Amino acid sequence: MSISNNLEDKIAETRDFVVNSASLKEVRSFSREVFERIEINQDLKDELVLAIAEAAQNIVKHAYKGIENTEDKMEIKISLSKDNELEIGFFDKGKPVDDAKVRHRNIDDIKPGGLGTFFIQQIMDAVVFREGEKPWINHLILTKKL
Amino acid sequence: MTYKVTEDGNISTIFLDGEIDMDVTEKAKEIIMPLIEAKKEVHINLKEVQYMDSSGISVLIESHQKATEMGTKVILKEISKSVLKVIMMAKLEQILNLD
Repeated sequence: MSISNNLEDKIAETRDFVVNSASLKEVRSFSREVFERIEINQDLKDELVLAIAEAAQNIVKHAYKGIENTEDKMEIKISLSKDNELEIGFFDKGKPVDDAKVRHRNIDDIKPGGLGTFFIQQIMDAVVFREGEKPWINHLILTKKL
Repeated sequence: MTYKVTEDGNISTIFLDGEIDMDVTEKAKEIIMPLIEAKKEVHINLKEVQYMDSSGISVLIESHQKATEMGTKVILKEISKSVLKVIMMAKLEQILNLD
């Protein structure tokens, strides 16, 4: 896996969003716009939009837990390499994420919550957390071979 | 998200419309929970819901569990293809009441 900064990427789109739940709709619109340019079936597009929205939601819910009305922004970068490796990067300035604590709940334990990470893992090939380079605190990378 | 509620005897049907995400879950719960607490049988029509994420699924689980606790039930009606897919991804098709 590579951090995408490749001039030869077929697609490389970056956008930032204020960290709040009202931005999730914009996150989905941005993702749908980008995926319109990729020849994949609608079901897969919908799944990828869901994975991106869930990851953005996790930033709002967890990295910014207890922090309301922030003007901080998160950045989302969607890139597709020439060999069709989709990479989605999420950058935020919230609380540092402890990778070891990012676990979905047991799927057989039926209760509200804890499903977002499960969906992301179901949809994507790989989910990797890295320490963000300044000014970012967290850098999440989702990848999938298309 | 917009909604409409119709009443027929002890059955309340909530027609939800739009996208259900974290931003609207509190509103969705404010609509659904009082009906369950009033021991209504609640039908949630999801025909016009084009998108639902894990927050929306949590509302469905919470509603189902609250209804069981209150001795009534929540039935999901006319579930759109996209919502059904997310319900199945969460492996809830045998848990929630789907119609």
